[in-house]
Amino acid sequence: MAKRVLIVDDDPEFVETTKIILESGGYETSWAKDGLEALTRLNETRPDIILLDVMMRTKGDGVWTSQRLRSDERFRGIPVLMITAVNRESDTRSFHLDPSADGDFLPVDGFLEKPVEPEVLLREVARLTSR
Amino acid sequence: MQQDMKRLPPDRSEPNDTAGHLARIKGWHEEFESSIDTLVSYLQDLSRRSKQAQVECSRNYSRAAELSRAKSRFTYEVSHEVRSPLAAVYNVLNVVIDGYLKGDREKQVELLIRARRRVREVIALLNDLLTLSLLEESTGRLKKESLDLRSILVPVYDQMRDYAAERDVKLSWQWGDELPVLLGNTELLRRVFINIVDNAIKYTDPGGSVEVDARKDGDTFLFQVADTGIGIPDDELPRIFEVFFRGARARSEGKAEGMGLGLSLVKRIVDDHRGTISLTSKFGVGTTVTVRFLEHQKGASGGEASTHSR
Repeated sequence: MAKRVLIVDDDPEFVETTKIILESGGYETSWAKDGLEALTRLNETRPDIILLDVMMRTKGDGVWTSQRLRSDERFRGIPVLMITAVNRESDTRSFHLDPSADGDFLPVDGFLEKPVEPEVLLREVARLTSR
Repeated sequence: MQQDMKRLPPDRSEPNDTAGHLARIKGWHEEFESSIDTLVSYLQDLSRRSKQAQVECSRNYSRAAELSRAKSRFTYEVSHEVRSPLAAVYNVLNVVIDGYLKGDREKQVELLIRARRRVREVIALLNDLLTLSLLEESTGRLKKESLDLRSILVPVYDQMRDYAAERDVKLSWQWGDELPVLLGNTELLRRVFINIVDNAIKYTDPGGSVEVDARKDGDTFLFQVADTGIGIPDDELPRIFEVFFRGARARSEGKAEGMGLGLSLVKRIVDDHRGTISLTSKFGVGTTVTVRFLEHQKGASGGEASTHSR
């Protein structure tokens, strides 16, 4: 059975092309425009991996979402690949994590910077879904 | 601050003059106490002033730290706002060039058209950033001249009338009998007017209406734009002039192209022209933006090259 990928991102062109690339690799895809919608989608169908953008403008950015996912035992086992247009992982830490909280903890399984080469995307998704 | 201690009176007493001795000792004692009082109040004053200096110093420090944080936050957001559309365009090109669409020509063209729009977005953003930095660097020193509002507003009206027709929004424009003369930068003011009307049309559903009122009001020029658009939720109103802020609906429905620099730029330009801007809105009902500029009085102070700084 085809593996399912949930793409959480608010950039329509990025989402559509990512879907095309993943579907060419035999994955089934679904889409949520922000973290809040992602949590709703998760209650409908369980994906094998979640691709998560960091900086979404509407309710629930990527860091918030990844923390929610990890604190919910139903979703804890789903691998999360963070894909972001910010420069470095450290930017994500310094600009999105509450400095008073545990600053080193960004609960994701992988981290890719936009733009992502199609073969790198396919390779990372394959790696994280075959564990 | 520190008083000179008074010289003690010379000892001219007789050897057995006990009362005289006591009086002298009392005198010394009083001198001593008063010097101590002086010293204590001096030290208290010093300590108070040092505390003040410390508070001021730490206030300056935190202000500087805040500015520096805001600056790096800004750089971070700009790089995100540039990188996102570029990543989307890059993906589109990969998908088309690398054959992911298997010769589906129609889909290829559709995606390329969307990619072109995203590139335009980046260019518009860069232009906005340049304007912003121009404003930052030359606050109050921008080239300003007496200008004829009608010659700025008529082309704005023409352009916006076409846009409104395209979006099936009814645009009615009230012209005052008289338009005052303003002192300002033509290009920047044109951007203010365009941006406000463009926003109103953009956020109004087909069938809705936008009313523009442009007239002299007392010693000001009033430019008011009221729409029957989607409105702004109360919790988003305080942030509406922030750089890069865009409302949830603007983002999620893909209604607005652009990056959210528009209104923050408008506010800066208005501030730079010593005008005022206010925005009232009811979610789901509509938004009204009111801008006022002071009429330019001939011979008034603050001439062509104003050095006013905020």
